[in-house]
Amino acid sequence: MEDDKKLNELLLSWEDTYKKGQLTLWIFMALQESKKYVDEIKNFIEKKSDGTISCEEQSLYRALRKYEHIDVLTYDLKEGNKGPDRKYYYLTNLGQELFNQFVDRNIKIFHSNEIKKILKLNEQ
Amino acid sequence: MKTITPYLLRFALAVTVLTIIFRYFLSYGIEKQSGIIIAISAATYGLLMFASGWYFGRKDGEYLPIYDIGFRFHLTTYLIHNGISLLWIGFGLGSKHENLSVSIMAAVLWGISLLIHFAFFLWARKNSINNLDKEDIFE
Repeated sequence: MEDDKKLNELLLSWEDTYKKGQLTLWIFMALQESKKYVDEIKNFIEKKSDGTISCEEQSLYRALRKYEHIDVLTYDLKEGNKGPDRKYYYLTNLGQELFNQFVDRNIKIFHSNEIKKILKLNEQ
Repeated sequence: MKTITPYLLRFALAVTVLTIIFRYFLSYGIEKQSGIIIAISAATYGLLMFASGWYFGRKDGEYLPIYDIGFRFHLTTYLIHNGISLLWIGFGLGSKHENLSVSIMAAVLWGISLLIHFAFFLWARKNSINNLDKEDIFE
């Protein structure tokens, strides 16, 4: 019982740290799929991550502003259902290249057979 | 590159209003040769300027973490404060004991400190990409 509690606390602590750096990757993955406005990006992240990544709208807006500022994404304005036009974000060429190189260097290593074996992914 | 943010504009508006009010009371105090009015208006102006810089600066950082070590806010304050002061005296709204040369001298001396701040700003930019701190971009 005591061990379960400790394990849970350690897991939450590790996940908190791990998830902090994940938002960028999930935003880029959302935009990799198609142009999206903020609500769609948020829904994509929460759905595709099985709810493990929750993003507050404020954090999302702040991240999008930063990425727009550094020219890795931009947007088209399109009419929304009601109210003001929606910003449909998409990756620029720089953003696409950044995403590709990041995936090559940091994600693809998890797909080698050796790492899969260590992670025991084939057993599941 | 977007460096004129909504919060910088709101700060500029606050500085404009505060400076006009301050200039009025300063000239009034000088005209009446009242040290108390001059001291209270200067202290109140200083405090309110600090508070608005602190408030809008914090909000600005939350909006977009531009890594400029406060230079945009300093430049804004310098331009508005000295612009209003020079126009105030220039249009004859000041006390008869005030003259333009004092305001010009204040602008020059302040300008030197602004230049030093600018040098630090240029140096700090080495740690940034498009003026955002490298460590803040993908936080």
